[in-house]
Amino acid sequence: MTNPLNGRSILIVEDESLVAMLLETILEDMGCATVGPISNIDDALKLLADDVALDGALLDVNVAGREVFPVAAELKARGVPFVFSTGYGEGGLPGDWRGHAVIQKPFTEAAVRDALIKALEA
Amino acid sequence: MKELLKSGYVAVDLATAFDASPNAYVLLTPDLRIAGVNQAYLDITHSSREEINGQPLFGAFDSGPSQDGAENVRQVAASLEKAIATKARDHLAVVKFHIERQRPDGAVFYDERYWSATHTPILDDEGEVIYVLQHTSDITELERLRRGGEGATPTALDGVLGGDVMRRANLVQQDNLRLESERRRLVDLIMQTPGFVALLAGPDHVFEMHNEAYGQLVGHRSLLGKPMRDALPEIGETYFDLLDSVFETGETYEGRASRIQLQRQPNGEAEEAFLNFTYQPVRDSSGQTVGVFVQGYEVTENVLSAQRQKLMIDELNHRVKNTLATVQSIAIQSARSHADPRTFATEFQSRLMALSHTHDLLTRSHWEGADLRDVLHHETEAHDLRRINMNGPLVALTPATALSLGMIFHELATNAAKHGALSRAEGRIFIDWTVTEAEPRLLNISWSEVGGPEITAPEHRGFGSRLIERNVRHDMAGDLKLGYPSTGLHAELVIPLDRGQTS
Repeated sequence: MTNPLNGRSILIVEDESLVAMLLETILEDMGCATVGPISNIDDALKLLADDVALDGALLDVNVAGREVFPVAAELKARGVPFVFSTGYGEGGLPGDWRGHAVIQKPFTEAAVRDALIKALEA
Repeated sequence: MKELLKSGYVAVDLATAFDASPNAYVLLTPDLRIAGVNQAYLDITHSSREEINGQPLFGAFDSGPSQDGAENVRQVAASLEKAIATKARDHLAVVKFHIERQRPDGAVFYDERYWSATHTPILDDEGEVIYVLQHTSDITELERLRRGGEGATPTALDGVLGGDVMRRANLVQQDNLRLESERRRLVDLIMQTPGFVALLAGPDHVFEMHNEAYGQLVGHRSLLGKPMRDALPEIGETYFDLLDSVFETGETYEGRASRIQLQRQPNGEAEEAFLNFTYQPVRDSSGQTVGVFVQGYEVTENVLSAQRQKLMIDELNHRVKNTLATVQSIAIQSARSHADPRTFATEFQSRLMALSHTHDLLTRSHWEGADLRDVLHHETEAHDLRRINMNGPLVALTPATALSLGMIFHELATNAAKHGALSRAEGRIFIDWTVTEAEPRLLNISWSEVGGPEITAPEHRGFGSRLIERNVRHDMAGDLKLGYPSTGLHAELVIPLDRGQTS
């Protein structure tokens, strides 16, 4: 059985370093190469402007008091699949993004893996 | 008639006819001054044109100083004001009113007379009241007859008139007085009720009355006689359409926590408000809708506090979930560096307690922030504080910075107790900090250990040092230098203090 995440570059946008470290650990265990973690919206947009090669992304919804949606829109425009992570519950996504893949904090390793695989295969 | 009045020469004839009429007339301005009287009026009031023309009616005639004089004046005034306000004729079947007279010897006395009066408003082309015409008859003799006469023997006709007509007239008038006083009581209740009330007349919703609370709601603007669309333009088409629909269909509309824009201060900006209200159709005797009765009360405070509460619950939920994710991370990463479950439990618990200590500090300030020295104190008090020297100014930290520094100091102190200065009796830690004056302000913290065992730089970085590094660079956008001179660990932290508060 091949691991569909092996060798994939995944961007992490998350302002809480402990949570970011957990995501890095989980992704590295799955054979991914992590990009970031990035702790604010401006740095994330700068990184995308530099045309870094990405296979996917995990985006915290609330990053240092700002919403991550400009980054999400940029990724969507580039065709890079991504998954939101949020502590705001199911109702945390506004109308434009309702129904998009999301994992709830705190998350299990399986939840991260399944959501990413589903997003990358879609 | 208006056309007749406009042509000047007819007016002369009308004035002559007016003066010659056996009926007593007085023409009043809307502020109840005497604009003109005819001869019959002068005769029955025993006055002259020169005395009373241009005078206030109740200045010229005040019904005298007797106890009921003021009540007599009030009744006549109420009837006049009603005729002006409703633009419709009003009748006073019987009213007592004293007339000032002079005896032949020159002494003044007040003659008690009974009157019947009709008040007719006269409107201009725009429909505004310009005059009120009072037609009054002296019915004193009839009234006296009714009461049994004063010497004179009544005829059969007088008996019929006095006994029945006057009695009925008096009953009608008493009913009118009772209804009027009930009406006034109801109006008083409506005027003083804490809810807002307004009565709108006709398809254009013209303000016919409103109470004090309604006036307050709309910044005490002048509303009476104005259509809603002109009087309160800011409330917008949605509400005008609702009023139109209630007027057209005759069906009541009920609004709950309904959002509206209202100008609350004279000449102020429109402000958002929330109202509970009803628009009820007002019907005439034939069932036709003739107006809309508006009543309700403001619920802006309740709506806003419910919104604030929802925001707070959402935010609390977000923080709890984030904190759980943080704890999850500490657990998983602590587990990876400990093969032995017992040492894992100890280290995991002490990290959890470090996080909890900073939470306690922040709770004390209602999550507004914490002082650097307090954070340091909390995270190092498990050790011998006499061996830790802290030196620096007061520094107010945001909640996020306080939480990060709390974790960092905990890791540094734990490491010092295991491998550094606090592992030897003579070891000391010097913690010094300064804040740069120029903006953006930078907090420089120096952590120096002396008197511990000789140290060397670690070969690989464990969770503790990664946690310190990440918290400084990632969470606080700061800088970190870790030095490993053989005398003891030396850490330099540079933390920007004026970044936006992070979640």
